[in-house]
Amino acid sequence: MFKKFCFYIVLFMLLSLVLGACSPKSPSAEEQPVKDEEVTLRVLVHQNPPMVEFMEAFNTKFEAANPGVTVDMSVVNANDLSTVTQTRLTANDVDVVDIFGFANAAQPYMKNVEPPNWQTLIEAGYLMDLSDQAFIKNYDDATLQDAGSYNGKVYSVNLGRVSYSGIYYNKDLFTANNVKVPTTWDELVAACETFTGIDVPCMTAGGKDGWPIFVGAYGLTGSIYPDQEALVEGLWTGTIKWNDAKSMEMWDRMKVYAQEMMEAGASGVGGDAAPGRFASGAVAMFPGGTWYASAIEASEPAFDWGYIPFPGSNDPEENKYLFGKYDQGWAIADKSPNKDAAIKYLEAFSEPANYQEFANAVGFIPTQATATLNTKIGQEVAPYLANFRVGYEQYWVPPKGVGQYANPWASYFQPFGTFDDAQELADKVQADLQSGLDALN
Amino acid sequence: MIAYHFGRGRARLAPYLFLIPGLLLYLIIALGPSLATAGFSFTNATGIRGAPINWVGFENYKEFLLLGQAAKDNFGALGRTLIFCFFVTTIQFSLGLFVAMLVNQGLKGTNFFRTLYFMPVILGAVIQGLIWSLFLYPLGGPMARLLEFFGTSSEFLGGAPAVAFTWVIVVQIWANMGTTMIIFLAGLQTIPTEMYEAAEIDGASKWQIFKNVTWPLLTPSVNTNLLLNIIGSLQAWQLFLVLIGYRNGTQVLGYMIYAQGFGQTSGSTSSSFRQGYAAAASIILFILVLIIGSITQTILNRRERRILG
Repeated sequence: MFKKFCFYIVLFMLLSLVLGACSPKSPSAEEQPVKDEEVTLRVLVHQNPPMVEFMEAFNTKFEAANPGVTVDMSVVNANDLSTVTQTRLTANDVDVVDIFGFANAAQPYMKNVEPPNWQTLIEAGYLMDLSDQAFIKNYDDATLQDAGSYNGKVYSVNLGRVSYSGIYYNKDLFTANNVKVPTTWDELVAACETFTGIDVPCMTAGGKDGWPIFVGAYGLTGSIYPDQEALVEGLWTGTIKWNDAKSMEMWDRMKVYAQEMMEAGASGVGGDAAPGRFASGAVAMFPGGTWYASAIEASEPAFDWGYIPFPGSNDPEENKYLFGKYDQGWAIADKSPNKDAAIKYLEAFSEPANYQEFANAVGFIPTQATATLNTKIGQEVAPYLANFRVGYEQYWVPPKGVGQYANPWASYFQPFGTFDDAQELADKVQADLQSGLDALN
Repeated sequence: MIAYHFGRGRARLAPYLFLIPGLLLYLIIALGPSLATAGFSFTNATGIRGAPINWVGFENYKEFLLLGQAAKDNFGALGRTLIFCFFVTTIQFSLGLFVAMLVNQGLKGTNFFRTLYFMPVILGAVIQGLIWSLFLYPLGGPMARLLEFFGTSSEFLGGAPAVAFTWVIVVQIWANMGTTMIIFLAGLQTIPTEMYEAAEIDGASKWQIFKNVTWPLLTPSVNTNLLLNIIGSLQAWQLFLVLIGYRNGTQVLGYMIYAQGFGQTSGSTSSSFRQGYAAAASIILFILVLIIGSITQTILNRRERRILG
């Protein structure tokens, strides 16, 4: 009896395994017929509260205009966007993805570097060629070319540029203390001394997220090296060194920025809490990107603020630039079974009226020629738009073998990092870079 | 003679057939990915299905161990991994034993304290990180207030790498000490009370009782805890991610592997995914864990045989 029982159990398990392996393939999402009347469009975006709020409203409007289409939008942290995008594209589990402007492409003078992940995704056939879609004509050619094209084909439409090299300032505090809005480095130092003298910290940043501590100081690098593409080439070819006399000026000022301007404890402030801390009037200035503007307005609507380029130089002419990057864009999964719905979605989004609403909500510098800068941040940056430049970190690709300090980051200084001496840090940064360049030979 | 329950002839194969599903599961879920990782470590895989994968031989290993300052930084991370392992293992082990002995006294409220000490274990790394981020908030958090009382301040997790690293050690111990305590507690409760009574009748002091009764009879728990603590701390990375992120001077090997594999090393949104390189780093970590784990286990087994026979 027991023998029979065992025999049948084993037979059943083996049969299950064999039949499981040989059973006809269940239809994948790719093979399932798309029902015209019912489509679930899977959209992936990164966390940016005003953008997410706008998208939720837009999705409702889109669903009403397209009966049978349901938008299933997922929101992930910006740091995790590339990982989740890769995973979901590979699993064919997403139709429309939010993808940052194409950056960090390998240049002819670069050797021994890895391609950026957007390039790998295109080469692996995951992003749809949008070149023939009518809606891309709504975006300006320069944007399509600079932020969404590869090998002559358009794979993404970029939705806006952001500047990260400016400083928000508290207008009431400046007026009450007779402080002039700084246009040079010395004026910025003097303004900070005035505020710290009355026990108001000069600046804060969302240092808990790491990069916000140094992102404002990209303006310092920019005022010393206004042509950031040339800076990257110079670093690669050895014509610019991080410890030469010109760069030392930058490091000396970064030390002041990290140790005298930034408030103690800024490393613990979350990226999403920093705008609120600035809007509460606790600090005088807030170096950061234009994307923070809507959060500042939301946390304290009556708060009066302004936005200026970081005055890193003592020559005001060198402080007229705003550095930044192409932010969010849309791409369609090439293997998507819902391509028609995805194209409709981007068509609707790209209609000038909808795009204008998006730009108003998010505060991006528009990439559609017909759109205007209606927001407060738009008005603040308008005088500098002619001098908008793509920043260093969008061009920089490190050679393999570089050390961990091969970047111009103010956060290497104490109290956020290890270094106290500007020359020592500059030598370390250059040595770490040189190590990678030497490894090429 | 032990009876063989599965009969004679072909029926003797039955146990092996029963083992097949489990074996297949192990091959698919555990051994398969491990072998695949070893294979990927010799390629330039990005982890993106469909992207070309090229055989690069030992290039990833050469890059990790020899190429430029990055290789020296990798050895720095290796050193930090060992430092982390040493401090976490020794402190967590000692503290776990001490607390287990305290809550094994049968005093009032023992159950409450057992639960309290074990509670951090059931929280996920994200919750643990959130709790400590709030506790160590430099602008008015509880710890900042305490330091303020003494006229000093600190950036804690966002400060100098050595300070941030020390706090991760503290949190790792806090998060896992409960497991160590429970294993020791289970061991303590297997020691017959007669042994203690006999020792007391013989006039042994508390220290002599611990040294000659408790400690030798806890040998199986000591071995289990030591191995779990060593292996767990060598592989740690989640708390580094949630508490301090990818910061120079704080990375350990486990976190470096994650950051390299998923393009989180540069802070740029379009960093490359280097899963071939990350796989090579994983194999190096595996070898490190294997060597340290094997030596520890050999020493502990010898000790166990010597003490318990």
